[in-house]
Amino acid sequence: MQNFWKNALQWLDERLGLNELYQNLLDRPEPLGNWWNTLGSASLFLFLLQVATGIFLTVYYNPSPDHAYDSIQYIMNEVAFGWLIRGIHHWGASLMVLVVIIHMLRTFVTASYKYPRELTWLVGVGLLLLTLGMGFTGYLLPWHQMAYWATTVGTQIAGSVPFIGEFILRALRGGPDLSALTLQRFFAAHIWILPALMFALIGLHLYLIIKHGESHFPDKED
Amino acid sequence: MNEDVKQQIHEKYERELQRGERFWPDSIFKDAIMALALFIVLILLATFVGVHDSPKADPSDTSYIPRPEWYFLFLFKFLALYGQIPVLGKIEWIATALIPGIAIGILTLLPFIDKSPRRYYAKRALPLGIMGILVWGMVWLTLLADYPTVAPDGSSTPGILQAIAGIVIPLLAYIAFTVMAYTLKERAPHGILLTALGAGALMAGFSLLSMILYPLPAKETAEHPTSLVDRITAGQDLYSIHCLECHGEDGAVKVIEGVAGLEGTVISPISSRDVLYTLNDASLGEIIAYGRPDLGMPPFGKAYNPEGLTRAEIDYIIAFMRHTWDDRYEMPKIQPLFPPLAPNEVPSYEVHITPIVKRYCLSCHRPGKDSNDYFMDTYENILNSGDNGDMNVIAGDENSFLLQVIQGKPILNPDGSEAIGVMPPSGTLKPDVIEVFRRWVLMGMPRTAEEAATLTWPTP
Repeated sequence: MQNFWKNALQWLDERLGLNELYQNLLDRPEPLGNWWNTLGSASLFLFLLQVATGIFLTVYYNPSPDHAYDSIQYIMNEVAFGWLIRGIHHWGASLMVLVVIIHMLRTFVTASYKYPRELTWLVGVGLLLLTLGMGFTGYLLPWHQMAYWATTVGTQIAGSVPFIGEFILRALRGGPDLSALTLQRFFAAHIWILPALMFALIGLHLYLIIKHGESHFPDKED
Repeated sequence: MNEDVKQQIHEKYERELQRGERFWPDSIFKDAIMALALFIVLILLATFVGVHDSPKADPSDTSYIPRPEWYFLFLFKFLALYGQIPVLGKIEWIATALIPGIAIGILTLLPFIDKSPRRYYAKRALPLGIMGILVWGMVWLTLLADYPTVAPDGSSTPGILQAIAGIVIPLLAYIAFTVMAYTLKERAPHGILLTALGAGALMAGFSLLSMILYPLPAKETAEHPTSLVDRITAGQDLYSIHCLECHGEDGAVKVIEGVAGLEGTVISPISSRDVLYTLNDASLGEIIAYGRPDLGMPPFGKAYNPEGLTRAEIDYIIAFMRHTWDDRYEMPKIQPLFPPLAPNEVPSYEVHITPIVKRYCLSCHRPGKDSNDYFMDTYENILNSGDNGDMNVIAGDENSFLLQVIQGKPILNPDGSEAIGVMPPSGTLKPDVIEVFRRWVLMGMPRTAEEAATLTWPTP
């Protein structure tokens, strides 16, 4: 029996390159780290948690002004554990913004953005902005008073940019005012456009980290 | 950066790796513990704090004060303070587009701006000082977000204090940092550290000063129903106040009787299948909001009637109608507002009066509302507060003002004008509610259930 498993593993390894993966991804040397080094993987964990809970929420959520609010009431009151899934998604968003910002500050304080990790930082700033974009677009989706008026003001601020402000405002709102089209656009951005960009940038971020290794904590020599 | 420096960096990193750890299992282990801790925190937050909800979006209710997510609050506050700066404050795009744009630009291009290979913190006083003050300023702007920028007496002192803390001191500190970095040379880190600590303390000081001198305005806590049962009950209350007069308690009225101006109007019984099966929730909502002026139905929506119903309130009424009359919906179990009275039972404040007052009176009769200072938020206030303190409720007296006005008898001044109108101002309380008030006052306003249990209501 032991032989069978050994053979099966070998068969898979020949075709998938499991050993190579293990050596390149997991069995790597690293500088001594501490708890501040866990914030990047914590951000990734929270992102994946948001993806998972978000997928569950789309099963019941309806992005139209007539039904968005009621569909969330339904999730909160009728769906089994709907309140838990939405609660995790709601608080997970806040926590993710917090963790991503602290991760950025940690990188700044240890000057990990310097040679050879400049591009990792650049991609990271992109991820920070996308995370805030996820927060902004997600805030409108419950279609309650707070969401509606905060988004009205938020898009107004975007509309105050000189020359192209009017265009940005109309592109965000899908017209001069907040409407069904705005909700549809924010929904599309929240569940397709921004997550797709985030997946791509996270992939790049991780590749760069593995390529250059985690940076060490600087001492007087650095 | 020349090749030598690059070589040095790589060699140093190799040495760090030699005395380092393994990604698996050392780092992964810590990562896993961190992820687990965050997951537990999230479950606790979702379970014990929940999601703060607000009523359904209502484009007609422009009085709503918007508030962004907490991580945008600092920007919100910055814009509010910037807008108060004379002259410059009128050029909105400087604060909304230019400054954030520059900040994001610097953050993005940081590795290409800060090109020195030095990583040790003592050799990086300037960038650390700038970032430190920026983050500290964002923290204080976030904390200050809900504090007013204009004092109740109209002076703009709080705004000025906050602007000093959140904008002026950071700017001055930045100028000082830059000057020091270029003039003090090797003593610069020391100077920047001291300046940063001083500026940080001043920022906190001015913020706290503004918070203490001009505290948060009292918060209006508007409760709104979230569960289906709560929404149906809220809808029932609204129906009793706004709709019952014409449509009747059971919604079956076909010809309106006893309503001035609409006497004899023929209407569709709104509890009938004809109405409930052929109109969906959206159409019902529009009919309530716009009315059907040609058929006698006035508009009830806030957009057409300043005293009218919000979008959310209309939805509660529809939820009530569906679950009460539409046979395709199942009525959830609803607790009565208060336990019905037995023939000889005397009601008490804590069991009967509290929920009734909360539902029917407290929306106006509470501190902060214009109600001639008659507040009904506590037992003592119901008895004694307001302009007619000693007349509100008199034990055993049918002439108590409270009992008169809820039974349709306004209190008149000596000259015949109305001093206190009938209550509630629109619609009337249900007979069983009035009966609770009568028995409670006539039997001497018992406070607890035990006190009430010692009393007996005399049946004729």
